[in-house]
Amino acid sequence: MAKNKMTKKSTAKIKIHKHIMAKTNQKKNPKKNKLKVAFFGITGCAGCQLSFLFTDEDVIDLLDKIDVVNFPFIKEKAKSKSYDITFMEGLVADEQDLKTLKEVRKNSKILIALGACAHTGCVPAYRRFTSLENFEHLLFKKKKELADLNPGPISEHVAVDFTIPGCPPDKEEIKYFIKQFYLGKDPRNYEDPVCIECRKNGNECLLDIGKPCLGPITRGGCNAVCINGGFECWGCRGPTKDANMEVMIKLLLEKGHSREFIIERMRIFVGTKHDALEKYLKELKGEAKT
Amino acid sequence: MSKTITLNHITKIEGHASLNLKIEKGKVQVCELSSTEGARYFEGILLQKRFFEAHEISSRICGICSCAHTICASMAIEDALNMNVSEQTVHLRELITLGERIRSHATHLYFLALPDYLGYESALSMLPKYKTAIVRAIKMTKIGNIMIRVIGGRDLHPVSNTIGGFLKLPSNDSLKKLKADLKSIKPDADATVKLFLSLKQRNFDRKVDYMSLTNPNKYAILTGTLKSETSNFDKKDFHDHINEYRAPYNTANFLVKDGNPVRVGALARFNNNSSQLSKDARSFLKKSGLKLPNYNPFNNNLAQAIELVHCIDYSIKLLNSMEIVPETISRLRQIPTKAGHGIGAIEVPRGTLWHEYSIDDKGIITAANIITPTVQNLKAMEDDIRNYVPLVLDMPKDKVVIEIEKLIRSYDPCFSCSTHFLKVNWK
Repeated sequence: MAKNKMTKKSTAKIKIHKHIMAKTNQKKNPKKNKLKVAFFGITGCAGCQLSFLFTDEDVIDLLDKIDVVNFPFIKEKAKSKSYDITFMEGLVADEQDLKTLKEVRKNSKILIALGACAHTGCVPAYRRFTSLENFEHLLFKKKKELADLNPGPISEHVAVDFTIPGCPPDKEEIKYFIKQFYLGKDPRNYEDPVCIECRKNGNECLLDIGKPCLGPITRGGCNAVCINGGFECWGCRGPTKDANMEVMIKLLLEKGHSREFIIERMRIFVGTKHDALEKYLKELKGEAKT
Repeated sequence: MSKTITLNHITKIEGHASLNLKIEKGKVQVCELSSTEGARYFEGILLQKRFFEAHEISSRICGICSCAHTICASMAIEDALNMNVSEQTVHLRELITLGERIRSHATHLYFLALPDYLGYESALSMLPKYKTAIVRAIKMTKIGNIMIRVIGGRDLHPVSNTIGGFLKLPSNDSLKKLKADLKSIKPDADATVKLFLSLKQRNFDRKVDYMSLTNPNKYAILTGTLKSETSNFDKKDFHDHINEYRAPYNTANFLVKDGNPVRVGALARFNNNSSQLSKDARSFLKKSGLKLPNYNPFNNNLAQAIELVHCIDYSIKLLNSMEIVPETISRLRQIPTKAGHGIGAIEVPRGTLWHEYSIDDKGIITAANIITPTVQNLKAMEDDIRNYVPLVLDMPKDKVVIEIEKLIRSYDPCFSCSTHFLKVNWK
C-alpha cells in the first residue's frame, strides 16, 4: 500500500481562498451569496457531525450565515452537488467510502477533514496494527462495492485543505472555522502542545503521578478537556510539529510503562500519521523482542 | 404490476443503510434492509488491549451513544473483575445515561422524525415556520450535553467515568446548577409530548415480543433483569436466549430471542415498566390513550417524548438526594487483576446495550462481544417493512418511500453502532 503512505497536498489553496473572498465580500445580496456548505460522513460514529449540531443556540446563528445544502444525517439528499466548503467526517475503511470521498472532493472547493477519523484514522484505523487473527473471526463476505480497504485518514486518498482535529472535534473550533470562512479569512489551527492549556487550567500533571499522558507531544486547542476531567491525554488531536517522540517514549519507560503498552497507546489515535513515531516504535519493538 | 424501490443511503438516520424492495401484484417479494456502514472491527481492535482501555476504545463506536458504550463497558469489566462500585458512582452513571437519553431523544424527535410528519425535508427547512420547536429541541440537547459534561467531563466520548468509579467528581455547586437547568427544560419536554400527541399516527399493530431491563425498585436504567412477554432472565444467561445470525445481503447481524425477533427501545420499556414512570410522565401516558402493551412501532416516537418528561423528573429526584462525598479512585493501573468474564446490559436511548468481555490474569482482553439495540431491532424492522408496504401501496411511489422511511426512523436506528460481526464460515 505504497500509495496510502503518501499524503497529498492541495495546490489550489490560494486560488480557492480568493474565490471565498470574492464570494463573501459581495455584500449586495448576502442571502443569495451565502457559502454553500455540506456535511458528510463516511465510516465513523457521527460524533463529529453532532459536534456541529450540538453548538447549542449558536447553530441557528451559524445556519443563518451559511447555506447547508447537503447533510444526509439530518436532511434529504440535495439536488445540488456543488459545494464551497465540505466538512468530511470519518475514515476510509471500504471501497464505498473511497468512492464517496472522491466524488465529494470533486464537488467541493474546500475540503475539511472533520475530526480524528478523517484526520488520522483514529481508533478504527488501529486495525492496521492488529494482527489478522484478532479480527479474522469477524470477517465476512461482502459485496465488491463494500470491500474493506486498509483503514486510514482521508488525506491518504484525496487532497485536504484544512483539518479540524480531535475525537471529538472541539465545538468552538468548528464555530471558528465557519466564522473565518464567512469573513473570507483563513482559519488557523492551534499548534501548541496540550500542556500549555493544561497548566493554565491548573491541573495536576498526570505524568508526574505516573499516568501515560501524551499531552507534551499532542496538539492542543482542546482546552485540555480530558485532563480537566481526570483522564490522561491519548493524543487524539495528532502530534505537534516539533513533537519529540524519543523523549516521550523514554519518559514513559521511566514511569514504568511497558514497551508494549507504550507502542499501543501512542499508535491508537495517530498511528497512521507520524513517520518518525513509527521509526521510534519499531526501535522500541526491536528492543521488546530481545 | 411490479414495483422496485431501492433506497440507497437512507437519510436522517444515524449511519448508513439501504433498503431493497421488490413488489409484484401487491405482494412484497424481496425486502432486504442492510447496513452499508464500513466495517470497523471494534471487537477485534479491543482484543489484547488492557482491561482499563475497554470503555475508552468502545466509546468510539458511536457519537450519539458514546456515554452508553463507556458505561456499559465499564460495568462489564467490573463484572469480570468482581468489583463493586459505590452508590454515588451508580447515581452519577445514571445521570450521565439520562442526560444522554434527553439529548438523543430530543435530537431524534425534532431533527430526524418530525420533518416527516410536518412535510418538510429537514429541520433546517422548518426553521422559518417552526423556530420555537427547533429552539426547544436545541434547549433540551444543550441541557443533556451540560449534564454529561458536568459529570462526565466532555459531552461526546466522556472521560471521567472509569473502571471502578469516577476519576473526577462534579462539585456540589455544579450539580445544583444542573438541577436548575433541568427544571428549566421541563416545559419544553411537556410541549414535546403535546406536539407528538397532536401528530396523526398510522395504525399498524404487529405483535412482536419486546424486551428491556426491568427492576422492581425503579424504571430500570443500569440494573435489572431482561424482561419480555415470554421470558424474564438474568443478563448472565443471555447466551441461552439470544442468538445472532447473518443474512447473506447484510453487513450487520440479525438477532433473535428464543428464536423470534424482538423490539427494544422506549416503547419496549413502556410495555414493561410504565408503572414506574414519574408522576407527570404517567399522567401524559394516561392522556395519550396509548394502550399497553403496544405493538405499533410508530408509537416509539411518542414513548420517547414521554420518556423525556420522565428523564427530567427522575434526574431532579436523584439530584435532590445527592451530596457528593470525596472518593479516592484507586490508581487503576495497580488494580490486582485476575482472569474473569463479565457482562454489562444497560438501557440506552435505543434499547438494551450489551457488552461482554473475557480478560486473562494479566488484565488483557481475550474476548469482546458488543450487541447494540439497532442489531436487536433489525429483524423486526425488516419484517415491519414487509408487512407495512402492502398497506400503503396505493400511494404514489414517492409517498410510499416517505412512509417506509417514517417507519424506519420511528425505531431511531443507529447504523454506525449496528455493524457488529459474527463468525461466518464462507469460502
